[in-house]
Amino acid sequence: MSAAPTDRGTWRLVARRDFWVRIRERSFLISTLINIAVISILVLARASSAVAGGPSFDLGYVGSGTVADGAAALGAQAGVRIDVRSLPDLSTATSALRDGSVDAVVTQTQLIGHTSLDPTLAPLVEASARNLALAAVLDAHHVSQQERDAVNNSTPLAYAFLEKEPPNRNQNAAVAFVGVLLLYGQLFGYGIWVASGVIEEKASRVVEMLLSAIRPKQLLLGKIVGIGTLGLAQLIVISSFAIGLAFATNAIDVSSSAFGAAGLVIGWFVLGFAFYATLFAAAGSLVTRMEELQNVIVPINLTILVSFFISIGALQDPNGRLQVIASILPTSSALAMPVRIVLGAAPAWQVAVSLVALVGSTILLVPFAARLYSGAVLRTRGRVRIREAWRSAE
Amino acid sequence: MLELIDLRRRFDDVVALDGVSFEVPEGRIVGFVGRNGSGKTTTMRIALGVLHADAGTVVWRGRPVDAVTRRRFGYMPEERGLYPKMRVREQLVYLARLRGTPKGVARSRATELLELLEVVGDPNDRMETLSLGNQQRVQLAASLVHEPDVLVLDEPFSGLDPVGVDVLADVLRGQARDRGVPVVFSSHQLELVERLCDEVVLIDRGRIVARGSIDELRAMRVRNLWRIEVPAATDGWWEVIPGVSLAERADGGVVLELTGGADPQRILDLARAEGDVAAFGPVRPSLAELFREVVAE
Repeated sequence: MSAAPTDRGTWRLVARRDFWVRIRERSFLISTLINIAVISILVLARASSAVAGGPSFDLGYVGSGTVADGAAALGAQAGVRIDVRSLPDLSTATSALRDGSVDAVVTQTQLIGHTSLDPTLAPLVEASARNLALAAVLDAHHVSQQERDAVNNSTPLAYAFLEKEPPNRNQNAAVAFVGVLLLYGQLFGYGIWVASGVIEEKASRVVEMLLSAIRPKQLLLGKIVGIGTLGLAQLIVISSFAIGLAFATNAIDVSSSAFGAAGLVIGWFVLGFAFYATLFAAAGSLVTRMEELQNVIVPINLTILVSFFISIGALQDPNGRLQVIASILPTSSALAMPVRIVLGAAPAWQVAVSLVALVGSTILLVPFAARLYSGAVLRTRGRVRIREAWRSAE
Repeated sequence: MLELIDLRRRFDDVVALDGVSFEVPEGRIVGFVGRNGSGKTTTMRIALGVLHADAGTVVWRGRPVDAVTRRRFGYMPEERGLYPKMRVREQLVYLARLRGTPKGVARSRATELLELLEVVGDPNDRMETLSLGNQQRVQLAASLVHEPDVLVLDEPFSGLDPVGVDVLADVLRGQARDRGVPVVFSSHQLELVERLCDEVVLIDRGRIVARGSIDELRAMRVRNLWRIEVPAATDGWWEVIPGVSLAERADGGVVLELTGGADPQRILDLARAEGDVAAFGPVRPSLAELFREVVAE
């Protein structure tokens, strides 16, 4: 058999192994399930509050239901749901109030509460009663139906705004929150997987066998691509599930930006993962035992954690100075920028600068990390200092 | 032919290799012998490109070795290790494919090797469930599975039981004889090296101190020793011959050192005059003795 003319594609074999070995691991299944559970809770919580909308009341009446019906109509305009029930007499009304099956009872002359009256409900009922009285006066003065309609239907004040709020802002913030939560989990979790994968090979000494067959750069690249692809696949599964569930439960509109947001999250995951995973791999190569992993990844952990909190802050204030800077610096942009984009707060030039910075710094980082990696990965006795690793490589 | 030419390597202040050169001809087995820390592992790692040399080159079939040619090398590192949780055959196939062997070929070759090396257990067992001896055999299979053009094995016999040693020795002989593979391995089991190797390279403190076949090494040795056993002789009978002195007394006889062109036949003549000669012959030093002698210089 003749020698293969090139070894350029070997990283694909490494990537494939890392992907398939991990997809069969129990921890992958568990993390997928946990993610899906957390997302379900978030989506269902939003769905239930969307269905409930605003406050709702049960209003009983004795005698004529005109005031109660009017109150229900006014409530509907104000986003308050009022269910109206007819009660035969006052004693039934009293017991209904006592057992809590109605919140208030309206009669010809009274609005009765159990111990108090709800400050939202009471003014609506009063307004309805006032309207009724007004209608009676208008009747007495023989005001025509056209004149009444003109008053009722006109808009007495035109609305004006200082700034235009992007449509669906509230909904976008919810989508962005879920997105940044997912991104944080994936970048962090799969970054750690890269670091521990490097340590695993070092600890089991298999790395010397591997490096006698392929170059360190290919091993590094294969590992990052393999584990990253798994993270990406999981992210796609979870996002699809989240969007499906959200539509099914009406937690968000079909017309919403959820698809766009999912695309953004996935795109920034790929870029952010390439950046962080390169750092994680280099850090992992410095130690030999899993117990030492925490020591070397602290700076990376902190960077991701701080970026996460800034991004959560960006949900409230997407144009704050800190948020803008964080969304451009490559150390935090993968988390901060997608939030700002989903909220419609990032101008195109900032997105462009942020992308160039992230991709560019990753390209610069790879040879640096690969050199540390190849200098450190064969040193299996204790922790390697960065300077040692650097000098030990060619 | 695999040639190592003037390899040099320092680790901070320590000179690990100080101009190491030797060749491994095709179809020959070369034993690489030296004390711990003498530079064997560093040399082998450089040959495999796992470590880079500060200076010097590794040449295979007349051309400097690069990453692509190294894929055709087979290597067994001193620090053993494979993926503990990976299945045995899957692991071998993976390592073969990293070196460019097609999947199907790798698979059948892995199965063959596991049988040839008498690895006990199922090819689908996880590595960590195997006994250490079996893991060692799988490790050897990993260095052979891509049918390498060159074999570089660091301490391949350590940790093997006598049966394992025989199996491995047969495999190495087979690789050299049937496929013309140059084989170089390091070992502290010198009688094994003596039995198996066509040539021996002795390294000490980063320098090659001797190389050649065992016979050549013996010829190189400084002392010319003869052992003779004459039960009836009076003590000191040899002192009349110029250039002959007592080296040691052993097993009812004496070992005489000959210097300045003294003729062993004169000793024999004189001994016959003293009485019946029970034994007479040159002292053929074992590799271990040669090694000690060379290293002591």
